Amino acid sequence: MSPGDPAREEHTYWSPYVAGLGIGLTLLLTFYIMGHGLGASGAYTQLTAKLLQRITPDHAQANTYLKDYLGESFWQSWIVIEILGVFLGGLMGALTARRFRFQIERGPHAGRGSRLFLALGGGIAVGFGSRLALGCTSGQALSGGAVLAVGSWLFTLTFFLGGYMVALLVRREWQ
Amino acid sequence: MMAPLVPHEMLAPELGLVVALVTGILFGFFLERAGFGSPRKLTAMFYLQDFAVLRVMFTAVVVAMAGLLILGGIGRIDLEMLAIPDTYLWPQALGGLVIGLGFAVGGY
Repeated sequence: MSPGDPAREEHTYWSPYVAGLGIGLTLLLTFYIMGHGLGASGAYTQLTAKLLQRITPDHAQANTYLKDYLGESFWQSWIVIEILGVFLGGLMGALTARRFRFQIERGPHAGRGSRLFLALGGGIAVGFGSRLALGCTSGQALSGGAVLAVGSWLFTLTFFLGGYMVALLVRREWQ
Repeated sequence: MMAPLVPHEMLAPELGLVVALVTGILFGFFLERAGFGSPRKLTAMFYLQDFAVLRVMFTAVVVAMAGLLILGGIGRIDLEMLAIPDTYLWPQALGGLVIGLGFAVGGY
């Protein structure tokens, strides 16, 4: 079996319904306390804005999109702290389940270089798309979906459509 | 106690960052337990092999939605104060499509 073969780990994962219940209750708790849901991509926008400000402050201030993100300090940003928590929670999960390891997970016939190249391309697409849609799968599909936002459900639909459209082209990368 | 707590000033906004850390840790932990640390598992749905992504996602959405409706129905949470994403149909449709493409290619 290749490194990170899903079949090897499959029996150690929780039932999707139990994990989904956990995420649903976490989301409910977030709404109950904060009045808004969970996110992810916003933390990257914060990072982008603050890095740009560090390198070229005038340009950051002149950018109509990013200047709204310059007000609060990076470590006071709700979504940045939330994503820090996601990292810690994921790390705890991997360590306690004894599946923590360094690897570039890919299909048995995929090269390391092509996998990394595709990861970069995919990451750029996800980053661009999440700014276009004002959120990613966490902010739109999950949090927006739970409050029945029309645009969020449309987002969810086209998300799956996009995945199925391109999946066969990159089959070798995963399967 | 009327929810949502922070917008209703039942809880100081500074404590919001503690909430961010705690809910983030829970979110990350459950995602990992679902197997979502593995891009091969995350993309398996697109090859009609493993629909865990769909099952986890929709279970979570339904649980949170039902919870909000029940808490709203018994008057424990003011649903009017919840942040609902604005609707921009074309950007959201196109953004979703691009993220879907990137997700299948990048693996996350």
